[in-house]
Amino acid sequence: MSLCRPLICTLLFAAISRLASAPAAIEGRVSLPKARTAPVVNQRYEIITKGGVIATNPPLAVVYLEGSFPPPPVPPLAQIAQKGLTFIPTLLPVQVGTRVEFPNFDDAFHNIFSFSPAKRFDLGRYRASEKPVPSVVFDEPGLVTLRCDIHEHMRAVILVLPTPHFVVTEADGRYRLEGLPPGRYAIRAWLDSRTTSPARPVELHEGATVHLDFP
Amino acid sequence: MTARRALAPTRVAGFRTKLLVAIMLVVSPITALGLYFAERDLAAGVEQELQRSFEGKLEARHNAEAVRHAALTERCRALVRKPRIQGALEEFQEALYDVADDELRDIMEEPVAPRPGDEASVLSARFYRFLTAQGEIITPPSGRRSTVGLLTGEEEARLALPAAPDQPQVGFLSYQSADRSESVAEVIATPIVSGQTGEVIAALVLGFKPFEFATDQTAAGIATGLWFEGRLHFAGANADGLTADVARAVVAPDRAGSPRRIPLNGEPHLLFCKLLNPGSRFPPAYEVCVYPLAGLRRQQRRLRWRVLGLGAGLLLGGLVASQFLARRLSVPVEKLAVDSERAARFSADASHQLKTPVTVLRAGLEEWLAREKITPGEAQEISALIHQTYRLSSLIEDLLLLSRMDAGALKLELTRVNLTELIEAALDDFGARPDDFGIKVETEFPTALHIAGEKRYTAIILQNLLENARKYNRPHGCVRLAAGGDGVAVWLRIGNTGRTIAPAAQTYIFERFHRGTAGENVPGYGLGLNLARELARLHQGDLRLLRSENDWTEFEVRFRLAPPSSTLTPV
Repeated sequence: MSLCRPLICTLLFAAISRLASAPAAIEGRVSLPKARTAPVVNQRYEIITKGGVIATNPPLAVVYLEGSFPPPPVPPLAQIAQKGLTFIPTLLPVQVGTRVEFPNFDDAFHNIFSFSPAKRFDLGRYRASEKPVPSVVFDEPGLVTLRCDIHEHMRAVILVLPTPHFVVTEADGRYRLEGLPPGRYAIRAWLDSRTTSPARPVELHEGATVHLDFP
Repeated sequence: MTARRALAPTRVAGFRTKLLVAIMLVVSPITALGLYFAERDLAAGVEQELQRSFEGKLEARHNAEAVRHAALTERCRALVRKPRIQGALEEFQEALYDVADDELRDIMEEPVAPRPGDEASVLSARFYRFLTAQGEIITPPSGRRSTVGLLTGEEEARLALPAAPDQPQVGFLSYQSADRSESVAEVIATPIVSGQTGEVIAALVLGFKPFEFATDQTAAGIATGLWFEGRLHFAGANADGLTADVARAVVAPDRAGSPRRIPLNGEPHLLFCKLLNPGSRFPPAYEVCVYPLAGLRRQQRRLRWRVLGLGAGLLLGGLVASQFLARRLSVPVEKLAVDSERAARFSADASHQLKTPVTVLRAGLEEWLAREKITPGEAQEISALIHQTYRLSSLIEDLLLLSRMDAGALKLELTRVNLTELIEAALDDFGARPDDFGIKVETEFPTALHIAGEKRYTAIILQNLLENARKYNRPHGCVRLAAGGDGVAVWLRIGNTGRTIAPAAQTYIFERFHRGTAGENVPGYGLGLNLARELARLHQGDLRLLRSENDWTEFEVRFRLAPPSSTLTPV
């Protein structure tokens, strides 16, 4: 009994404190540029470079919260698969320090490499059976373009952000960023390698949802 | 007589020679023309054949070049699609040449010079550079000079283009190779196109060893070279004088594809210039091919000699054939001439042989007649015999004249002859003859008619015609003589009454020894008309029967009118 009481107290405290700091959310719409190609069912997103600007097509945006956040106790893990001779997803936002795995689900060899300043690496050729799954830790913020040395059309981008709070918009630009700690922050929308919206101040209250559009 | 006997063979030989010459005159030009056209066609055929062979060799070479070029272009296209190169261009340009060194390792030539004839070196690059989208050179880092191929700054600058091309461009670059010798590289600039947007983001320029342009000893001395930047490269030692000709050829690009003849080192040559990089943004480069025509000339000379030999043989054959033909053709003529000559000789011999005994006979008879002891009956018989000797003499005279004409020995000295005087003299003679038949003579002629003739023979014509008019007349008949001129000729018509000449016999009346049916009881030998016509023709005139019907027979003889001043020539 003497052992149960402190445990109950701890659980109760935790439940009370959790209730006291209920996460906030932000939702809204990012005004995306027009798609380069007509929308189709099961649209695949591709990475295009035009005039040195890297973006997805059809356009997508990444909305993320800026602020001072403690580093994660355990490095987050993310994944970009190679399936059907394409990267899935083609746009992946990750927090700095995230390890991204690149499993190969194709029968063919792939050879992922990046010449981006934020992370230069070359995984060499490997097949689906490659164990452990080749991965890379992205420890600097920035944009990393992934290419396959064997399949010239394959591209993907990883947006390495110094924040754990980010989300990729829907195709129509709508987004919902959840699980946010209350407080004062700035919020931005990344549109392409050269366009990131100006920081918008946002104040989050416990359990509240803020509506914010990016024109 | 000897001279006359030799006449016929000489004339036949002359005829034969003339015939031979005529045949040769026909045969020679035909043979010459035939040979000329044959030689021309053969020479043209040989030239066309050689030119075709040369063009065939060139085409084979161009095909090999095209295959090689296609292989090179494909290699370049494969290289510019390399994701690492595109990635480096987009995001990591400082490592571009590092990445490219790795990616182009297979295509770049080993720093050690390849052995001559090494096939692999044909597809190996000697240097490479990247151009920006604006066509400027992306200068390789200094440490990379050896792996990207040594080029000076000026040589690199010549690789730059106004903008990165959207299609592969071919050009040529002369540069100093590692061993300081001048080299030429075939340059292919391939656009690097973004896989996502299709935009040209840069260009890769690779320099290859050009197709072999040395003199090809196996191809009948064909020398090939390259012309670009106003200079000729690799045309062989014997093509020093080509520069000006090539410059002229490439000035007219529409004619650059067709061959032109040029003299080179004293020998005729065919020069071909082919634009190697039409539409390229690099300076135009021409492939120059020189083909010596000395072999062709030798062949044509040999051919000409053969044709000339053949022509000589043909002409010789023609000469022999003509000789044979002339002989065969002249046989009947020769026979005719011999017969004619024999007949003429017979007439002449007979005349001469007969004349003397007749004269002797007449002298004897006249002496006998002069004797006093003869009776009147004997005297009448002797007179008749003497008359016959005169007839015989006249006949012999006619035969002698005819034989001279037949032998061609009678030549008239045509002078201005007063025909009126001759007519009057003949009529006087006619009137002086004993007229047993009471023949009436009518005349109608102007006072002065001058013809071109020889008086003696003109008189014979007149006498013969008047004698015929008298002989073939009827008792108490009429002889009518008329003459006149028409400005060109003079005509003389003599008609007489009496039995007419049958139409069927009219064709033959001018033949020798022909006597009509009317002449059965008429003295004569059928020589008068023949003689008169032959003489008229010697006068350049003619004698013809005008009519013979209704108790009237009339002949007309025509003479040339004498010109005012006597400028007549012998006939």
